[in-house]
Amino acid sequence: MSQTIESFKLLLENAFSEPLTYLEASQLLTIKVQENQLFATLKTLKETLKFDALIDHAGVDWPNENKIELIYILFSTHHNQQIMVSADIDRNQPTPPSVSSLWAIAEWQEREVFDLLGVTYKNHPDLRRLFLEDNWVGSPLRKDYKDDFILERPW
Amino acid sequence: MGLINDNPENPFKEAIPGSPAFITSIDKVVNWARSNSLWPLTFGTSCCAIEVMMAAGAAHHDLARFGAEVARPSPRQADLLVIAGTIVKRMEPLLKTLYDQMAEPKYVIATGACAISGGPFIYDSYTTIRGAHEVIPVDVYVPGCPPRPEAFFYGLLTLQKMIIEGQTIAKPFERRKPVLSVLPPRIKLEQIRDELVKNLTARSVTDLNQNPKELGL
Ligand code: SF4
Repeated sequence: MSQTIESFKLLLENAFSEPLTYLEASQLLTIKVQENQLFATLKTLKETLKFDALIDHAGVDWPNENKIELIYILFSTHHNQQIMVSADIDRNQPTPPSVSSLWAIAEWQEREVFDLLGVTYKNHPDLRRLFLEDNWVGSPLRKDYKDDFILERPW
Repeated sequence: MGLINDNPENPFKEAIPGSPAFITSIDKVVNWARSNSLWPLTFGTSCCAIEVMMAAGAAHHDLARFGAEVARPSPRQADLLVIAGTIVKRMEPLLKTLYDQMAEPKYVIATGACAISGGPFIYDSYTTIRGAHEVIPVDVYVPGCPPRPEAFFYGLLTLQKMIIEGQTIAKPFERRKPVLSVLPPRIKLEQIRDELVKNLTARSVTDLNQNPKELGL
């Protein structure tokens, strides 16, 4: 079953009680949620709207706005639709809920974000570093990350 | 940079009895044999591996002409370690282990800017090792990003030449200084550039005359 974006948006709005905020910046259908509604929104998307695959989860550091943006890209094999969910969290105390109880793959994707951006997920079963060494200090994908190893660009 | 045996008191090094003439002739045969049957280890860490292992090994360029096509999945059976790709901090101990597991005589070719110096990732990278020689000794460097198969073959031929000229049975751990093998002498950089420009213009995806300053790079 495949629909146009418009009819799919209707379906989407019927599933939520509050109105949704869309982001126009991306070509993908994108909704913006608050941190405290993040888990509930993703749960509704998974259980009511049958978004059964978490394709990607990533984080973006915005040091000037003092926030970290979390991105979830979901795919529904049932509707043949993709959707992107974006949420801003506090940069100094990033403790969003883990969604590994909804999609098992999220466990590893959240470990990656934890590894590189220092986001500590709540209720994550096994939050360890994934790519870097276990004794690494700091989160290298934060834009203000510095260490002794890095060679500064001389221009 | 590079290797070389800086421990003259090597316990494995023994003088072989007999006349020097005999050793020299045997050396020639052994070195000739070694140089023509370099078995590379199947080892690639990023994009250079596609170029070196796929392009150089495939039928069009054909690594088998130089006796180096028997890629071995085990370091115990390999003579040649081709470092094709970026080495990151996490990879460093593994590379060291692989090198240590290879049996003597072993040779190392570093291909691509990444394995030579860190290449595109030399600045502002928190994890890229700046050159494979920081981890293990390297015999031949082949520059490029990635190198053309011709350049890689030239590097291989350079290594073969080094083997034929260099090592002897009497001094098994001694090697020459590492060399940089750039391009075969008859191929000019302009030729390669013209060919690339021709190909790129034919597909017209890139404005080759654009000024990087204007793009804000
Ligand atoms: S030198 Fe270039 S092609 Fe080779 S691994 Fe590095 S970035 Fe990739």
